[in-house]
Order: sequence, then structure tokens, then C-alpha cells
Amino acid sequence: MRNLIAFFKRFQIFLVFVLLQIVALSAYIQYSQFARLQVFSSASRINGGLYEVRYSVTKHFNLEGTNRKLEWENARLREKLKLSNYKIDRDKIVIEDTSYQQQYLYIAATVINNTYDKRNNYMTIDIGKNHGIKKGWGVASSKGVVGVVHLVGESYAVVKTILSKNINFDVSMRDGGAFGLLKWDAVNPKICQISGISNDITIKKFTKVITRGGSGMFPKGIPVGVITKRKSIEGRPLWDLQVRIAEDFRTIQHVYVIKNIKLDELKELEGRIPPDKEEDDL
Amino acid sequence: MNSFVLNSIRFVLFVLFQVLILNNLEPGLGLYAMIYPLFILMLPFQMGTVPLMLISFGFGLVIDSFSNTFGLHASSAVIMAFFRPLIFKWLSPRDGYDSVESVNVYSMGGRWFLYSYGTLLLIHHAWFFTIESFKLNEFLWVLIKIGLSVPCSFLLSLLVQFIFISNKKAVR
Repeated sequence: MRNLIAFFKRFQIFLVFVLLQIVALSAYIQYSQFARLQVFSSASRINGGLYEVRYSVTKHFNLEGTNRKLEWENARLREKLKLSNYKIDRDKIVIEDTSYQQQYLYIAATVINNTYDKRNNYMTIDIGKNHGIKKGWGVASSKGVVGVVHLVGESYAVVKTILSKNINFDVSMRDGGAFGLLKWDAVNPKICQISGISNDITIKKFTKVITRGGSGMFPKGIPVGVITKRKSIEGRPLWDLQVRIAEDFRTIQHVYVIKNIKLDELKELEGRIPPDKEEDDL
Repeated sequence: MNSFVLNSIRFVLFVLFQVLILNNLEPGLGLYAMIYPLFILMLPFQMGTVPLMLISFGFGLVIDSFSNTFGLHASSAVIMAFFRPLIFKWLSPRDGYDSVESVNVYSMGGRWFLYSYGTLLLIHHAWFFTIESFKLNEFLWVLIKIGLSVPCSFLLSLLVQFIFISNKKAVR
């Protein structure tokens, strides 16, 4: 017993060091499971409040760009109004209310903090549980896909952007429909990668990439970016595709959180697929 | 008590400087300047390693909470606190540290500061970027990040000390 105490006394410093490292690293590496340290994020009230004060100062610096973006979006929306369309077939088109049902709702939010230079990039937005936000909802801006809601606080939420490790959104080509997974290799905040597309499918440069809508986070057709480079991966029958993403994360200020009303139905239906037998054996 | 108040004020100022200013400077190429290691270096000299590590852990956790890194800064701060006494012992001057009250570039001299803080920063940044990426095939990229960030953080720390610590007071 005395030896044990002597041992602890002798290696006290090292033991405390190891203990602290275990706490910190387990929180970092598997942060979705370690719920207790999740409290310390910018979704909490104090930190979110501080960022909001900073945003109230810095938002004016980008006012011109924001205005231009909103103008552009306004123009595009105006084009879609009935007023600006010429009705060709006067009698046959009858819009039935019953044939369309709202599926996606958009909740506007303001970005009060974001990064684009780290390995995993998060942004803090100024809406949270009070506005009905839930973990796992998609986030997009007027230009394109942004990310997914990762943590939700009372009145703030943290969004994991597509500039993250293992983000794996399912995306597809607008022309041709080949689909793969979106990834990011942490080198350039404007370029993402798509993996998992077989290289016997022809893919042209400058093909537009859109969301596939598979996981129910986004409607099908939200822009992701444009293919800028493609080459084959050596030794594997896959394309290595580089995508210039549509959203510029260095100037982003306003986003929409997307609520899918039918998400539960989709999840329930997909949950009924029987699990793979062979995987169970492994 | 005086030292406690001084260090508490430093704590808040370093957090604000790191979080509100430096975390938003993203000049590209993975450059990430960090000023908060200077706080750990400037903690009182006589402090034991265990309290030093506990304070660093809490300090890192506060930085984490603002930059959404969930323990990464805390881990790096603890490793720096762990190595601080070892580096100090390795670089101890001939007549010991008896007359030294606070650690900064004036009281310890430029050469001592370059070696000790440079080594500690290198350990801190290497640990930070390696754990952040945690992939072998991004090794070169991690090296670039370390190589660019360490000189930047070091120069920034020097600048902060030149501006905020008066030479007279330190010599006394």
C-alpha cells in the first residue's frame, strides 16, 4: 500500500497530465458521444451573445456585398412570380391546391461566426431551439448548400459546414444524374471533392452539381458547385472530381435552415429495409 | 493576491484577443496565429506543474468553447504546460531563477525567450495541428501549417510584449 502511494506521489504530474489529455482528446475525437463537454461550444448563451455583439459591429463591413447578393436573389425570385410569366395556354392550366403540398420550409438565419480554414469548420447562427431547429437539418444559402445543423442551443445553433472531415453529402450531376459523396480535403475552402463515381460514366467539365435529396435534408436540386477538374484515381475504377463550390464561405452572412416536413415518414420507411445479413456476421 | 488579479485580467484579455481577432484572421495556406500560449508561459514562476496544467486545461477549454473545437485547444494547452518546467530546467541560467519574478522577454533576455518559447510553441503547434488533422496522408499539409504558424505566433507574442509590458517596470 505504501508503495502504491509512493508511486502515485512520484508520478503525480504525469498521471494528471494523462488524465487531462484523455478527457480533452476523447471529447475531441468522438465529440458526438461525449455529451458533457458539448456544453462548451458557441451555441451556449454567453459565447453566442459575445459573437452577436461582435457581429453587430462587423456586419457593416460587408453591407455592400450583402446588398448585391440580396438584390440578385430578389431579381431571381421576381422572375418566378406569376406576374412576370406569360401564360401560354389560357384555359387548360388550372392549379389545384390539392396536387401540391408543402414539403420544405425555409427558416432565415444570420451567421454570427464562422471559419473556413480549419480541418473541421463550423458556423454559429442566431436561431436555436426557440425557433424549432433540430439537429440534422440541412442549411443552404441563396447560392447553394452550406451544411448541416450540428448542435442546438436555446437561441443559437452550430452548423457543420461542407468544409469538414467526413461530411459525405449525397450529390449528383445535374446532367446525367451520376451520384457520389461530397468530401473536403482541407486544402482550399473553394474546392471540394466528389468520390464514388465510376469512371466509365462520362462526366464533362463544367457540369453543374446539385443535391440529390436522398437523405431528406435538402430538396433535390439545390446547387452545390461546378466540376472544374477530373482525373482517374490510379488503380481504382473511380473518378477523382474537383468541385468549385457555389457558396463563398469567406463572405457568407445569411443562410436558410431547411425543415423537411416529411422527414419522419422518410426515416420510418427507410428504417423498414431489412439490415444486411452479411454485415451482421462481421 | 496581486498576482492573482493580474493573471485573471490577462486570462480575459488573452481569450478576447484570440477569439474575437485572431480566430477571424484566415489568410489562407492553413496559417493560424495563436497568442494564448503566451498566457501559459507568463503564469507565475513558482507554480507547480499540476496547478499549471489544471489552469491551462480550463483556459484551453474556454478557447475551445468559442472556436468549436471540443477539447483540441485544451489538450494542446495541457501538453505545453507539461513541458514548461522541463524546458525551464533545461535552459536554467548559471545562478538559477532566484531573482526572476515574471517571465517575459525583458526579464529573461531575448536569447532565452527565443529558445524556451520557441520550443514550447513548436510542441504546442505540432500537437495541435497533428491531432486536428489526424490523418497520415495529410502529413505534408500539416507540416506546412506548423512551419507557417509557429513563426507567426512567435512574432505576434513578441509584439504583444513590446507593446504592453514596459521595460522599466520589469527591470525595477
